[in-house]
Amino acid sequence: MATVSSTRTSDLNLHHVSKRFAGDDHAVPVLDRIDLSVKSGEFVAIVGASGCGKSTLLRLIAGLDDQFDGDIEFSGERVRTTDLARGIVFQDHRLFPWLNVEQNIAVALKNSGRSKEEKRRAVAEHIALVGLKGYEGHHPHQLSGGMAQRVAIARGLVNRPKLLLLDEPFGALDALTRSRLQNELRRIWEHERITMILVTHDVDEAVFLADRVVVMQARPGRIGKVVKVDLPRPRSRSDVAFVRLRDEILADFSVPQDVAAA
Amino acid sequence: MANSIARTLNPGQRVSGDGTRGHTGSLARSLGWIALPWLVPVACAVLWVLGSHYGWISAQILPSPTLVFDTLGGLASTGELWMHIGASLSRIAVGFTGGVLLGLLLGAWLGLSRTAEAYILPSFNAIVQVPVLGWLPFLMIVVGIGEPLKYLLIGHAALVPVTLSTLQGFRRTPPAYLDVARVFRYSRRQTIFNVILPSAVPVIGTGIRLAFTKAWLTLVVVELVASSEGLGYLIVYGRQLFQLDLVLASVLIVGAIGYAADRLLTVLEHKLSPARSA
Amino acid sequence: MSTPSLELETGSGAIAASGESGESGKAGRWRGWVIPAVALLSWWFVSRHVVAGHGMMTSPAQVLHTAIDQARTGALWRALSASLARELTGFTLGASLGLVLGALLGVSPFANRLIGPSFNAFKQVSLFAWIPLISVWFGLGDVAKVVFLSLAALVPVVAHTSDGIRAVSPALLDVARVFRYSKLQTVRQVVLPAALPSIFTGIYLALIYSWLATLGAEYLLVAGSGIGNTLVDGSEQFRMDLVVFGVIVIGITGWALNALARAIQQRWFRDPAA
Repeated sequence: MATVSSTRTSDLNLHHVSKRFAGDDHAVPVLDRIDLSVKSGEFVAIVGASGCGKSTLLRLIAGLDDQFDGDIEFSGERVRTTDLARGIVFQDHRLFPWLNVEQNIAVALKNSGRSKEEKRRAVAEHIALVGLKGYEGHHPHQLSGGMAQRVAIARGLVNRPKLLLLDEPFGALDALTRSRLQNELRRIWEHERITMILVTHDVDEAVFLADRVVVMQARPGRIGKVVKVDLPRPRSRSDVAFVRLRDEILADFSVPQDVAAA
Repeated sequence: MANSIARTLNPGQRVSGDGTRGHTGSLARSLGWIALPWLVPVACAVLWVLGSHYGWISAQILPSPTLVFDTLGGLASTGELWMHIGASLSRIAVGFTGGVLLGLLLGAWLGLSRTAEAYILPSFNAIVQVPVLGWLPFLMIVVGIGEPLKYLLIGHAALVPVTLSTLQGFRRTPPAYLDVARVFRYSRRQTIFNVILPSAVPVIGTGIRLAFTKAWLTLVVVELVASSEGLGYLIVYGRQLFQLDLVLASVLIVGAIGYAADRLLTVLEHKLSPARSA
Repeated sequence: MSTPSLELETGSGAIAASGESGESGKAGRWRGWVIPAVALLSWWFVSRHVVAGHGMMTSPAQVLHTAIDQARTGALWRALSASLARELTGFTLGASLGLVLGALLGVSPFANRLIGPSFNAFKQVSLFAWIPLISVWFGLGDVAKVVFLSLAALVPVVAHTSDGIRAVSPALLDVARVFRYSKLQTVRQVVLPAALPSIFTGIYLALIYSWLATLGAEYLLVAGSGIGNTLVDGSEQFRMDLVVFGVIVIGITGWALNALARAIQQRWFRDPAA
């Protein structure tokens, strides 16, 4: 499927999306009537404590799971399965250990219908984009966690998807690397203006990167509130407005029912 | 790693590990450490030489080392040795290769098709419960004691571990990789050749190495029981004639070939799968 | 040293694999019986219609008849118990010695360096190659067989015991040191439990190998009786019915040993590395 970027029509709409685990009719559903609209080119962050279903939601949008109630529409079409127009970056980089960096990125292009020359160029471009020039021949076991994750991001972008989903992409990295990669992601987004949905449990990260922050509650998974982040980029984490927004979001996390007798 | 135990159980004592030198002690100490593995073999060799020289051990129980080497040399120069080694090697080559190839195909088929697995695996299981040697008398009646007997038994010995490891490798492809394949819309065929197969290579490699050990073992037994040439035959022949020098010489060669082949396979395995964490 | 996973070494790999396939339940099970049923029927059919005098062919009925005969006259039990008795003796001997030697190699780097390489070299020689030598030194009877079986059991136990002990995580040992465990306490409370799954793997393998070795020994050291002898006799007399019967008995015994060892493993030893 050709992936011609036309930024106007790649809106994402979720309507009353619900999911319960099979055979568990009495248990609380994983997702409960999620309604969400993401405009083309927007950067949306989803935050929530563990168990609120945010990763599950991402899998549904990616098309990796088709067992759910409700509608998911992307570019005017219903989402039922995976598509090259919707890319995803996982928390564990999931690079193939038997391929080197170049080949791993090329994995995304296998079914893209492009010529060999075009593929080669796209891979080289994206290696440069994530700052890994010179590492083309390396294998994943020779890379640090941060570098591997950058390769995963390159792989997610090389197809020029209209939507990129990121499932806690920096969760497994140390704080310094995380901070650097957050900057990289911001830079890439400003450059490419691809719609991005980032799932994270790090509120700072969410406020730093997103146009809107969606706060999810757990048991059942549902949307609590949505906070607009109107600050100009690049943002400073010590900025007063930044801190205020972050605190506002964090306040939502100390919901009484989830806190054990403290 | 090994030294953690030693350090824990022997606090206060300095323990040197492989390759450490220097501050733990004198040069002599380090030299001693390097020489240690040779102590037992050298002592045994010395005892052996002295024992046969002074007649402590009768030649019937253990011939002198010189005799063994002479015998080896004699066999080598008349060309007989090579003939027997050749016979053994050709059998293992045919049987092992055949068994591995069939095993790969069968394992892949069972690994990819749940239907095939449902029908075939239980019967395969049942057959596996009988150790390779258990089939020897049966096959001896059916195909006689010629080459086919050896090929079939060796092939069977190799086929079983390779099939099981291929099956395992194919079935246990990490779902994480399968997700990636789905995200990038890989067809079934692309998934099999580009994801499932490469991820199964380490397990298959292990299976192939094990298959060789079993195949070699089977070869030796078959040649001991039912053969008129080959290394196993040499051992039996020597035994019949109480020529223990011949027996020992052949046993040594059996060990050497088995070891060399295993090393070779290990090297191949490492070449095919550069150190992976998966 | 790298050791292939337990499931591959024993036949349990196949059983484990089929257990994972998720096709369980009554509906799925019947498919496994199709091939055996077809095979049995074809065998019966062929044996009825092929020239009866053909030495190689035997019929299911005949095998059954032989089986009942063997059981009734006690020949089956004598042979089986002789084989199993030898196997268990050799296994116990070899495994016990193996535990001691393996523990020594695991705990003392000195001993490991002294004996380890020689043991590894010794391990390389295909087990059965030693039989003729053993027959020279120990004759053809039970003693020789037990010696051989002990050898077969010893090797995997030593390898896995020493590996298991040496692989005990330094992290755990640090904890023992922090709480000032004595040597004895460390061994009892930390080293042994941590190494136990690996040690059990070695013992499991020893059981399987010694069963394999029992058969081979009976082929080659022909004095005495046992199920392997039954097979060889049947083969020499071209009595296919006896041979088939023997194969089935061996299969069932092998399966039973495997099942027993697996059951013990499931209940008491869960190998975290598996």
